[in-house]
Amino acid sequence: MRFHLIDRIEEWEPEKFIVAHKLTSRAEDYWPAEKPVMPPGLVLETVCQAATWLLMLGSDFRKRAALLSVDAAVYTADVVPGDVLDVEASITSITGEAAVIDGTVLVGGATVLTASGIMCALLDAGTLEDPEETRRMARELCGTEEG
Amino acid sequence: MIIDRIVDVESGEYAVALVNVPNTLAVFDTHFPRFPVLPGVLLLDGMGAVARLVARQPLRRQQSIHGARFRHYVRPGDQIRITVHATEVAADAFACRAVAEVTGRKVATVRRLRFELEELR
Repeated sequence: MRFHLIDRIEEWEPEKFIVAHKLTSRAEDYWPAEKPVMPPGLVLETVCQAATWLLMLGSDFRKRAALLSVDAAVYTADVVPGDVLDVEASITSITGEAAVIDGTVLVGGATVLTASGIMCALLDAGTLEDPEETRRMARELCGTEEG
Repeated sequence: MIIDRIVDVESGEYAVALVNVPNTLAVFDTHFPRFPVLPGVLLLDGMGAVARLVARQPLRRQQSIHGARFRHYVRPGDQIRITVHATEVAADAFACRAVAEVTGRKVATVRRLRFELEELR
């Protein structure tokens, strides 16, 4: 699978919060054959990726997050094909080297995941991906020319 | 994440399984182009898959993850050994702790993964 689990960025405020969406589709290849429910780790990853977009947008694409630890992720409903995930992530603390994030995922207004204490290391984004490619994608996700 | 080999299972107690991480995995195209590394959340789903081998009853929804720690990167060419131990076997729930290792080195640990059990009829 392409490991891009955010499809739109609606709103963000540097070092504060981000609101984003992920569309699920039957055409994606992560649904287990025996029961088409989105793997819980991937639901959590939508929060992590929303947070990494927030950190990239807020650092002019110099920083990117790498997952270090998760205190708690509590799932309250399954995600099934066709669901649209409303993803919110907020930074509860940040230094030059690490950030701590809380987040929620909702489907149709109902919470499916609440995550707290997601700690990420802040890495030099250029070591992972071409920053120009990341900028191009940010413009697409935000629906702006400025990104 | 799909298990490649089951090494050992003691139903209701523990299970050990292997997951291979070849360079051919499509996830490495995007995660990341300049530094391919297995996403940590896929280890959590691998632990969930091994937990299903341990539980005596079918597991329904995963309810929670507590205390997940990612200690080292998992890179293409690594073989992951996942060990899951049951910590709670109740009428309606199953919980376990889990460790993922590569060549004897812990790459990720989870203090508690908890699941609802499928209702038996």
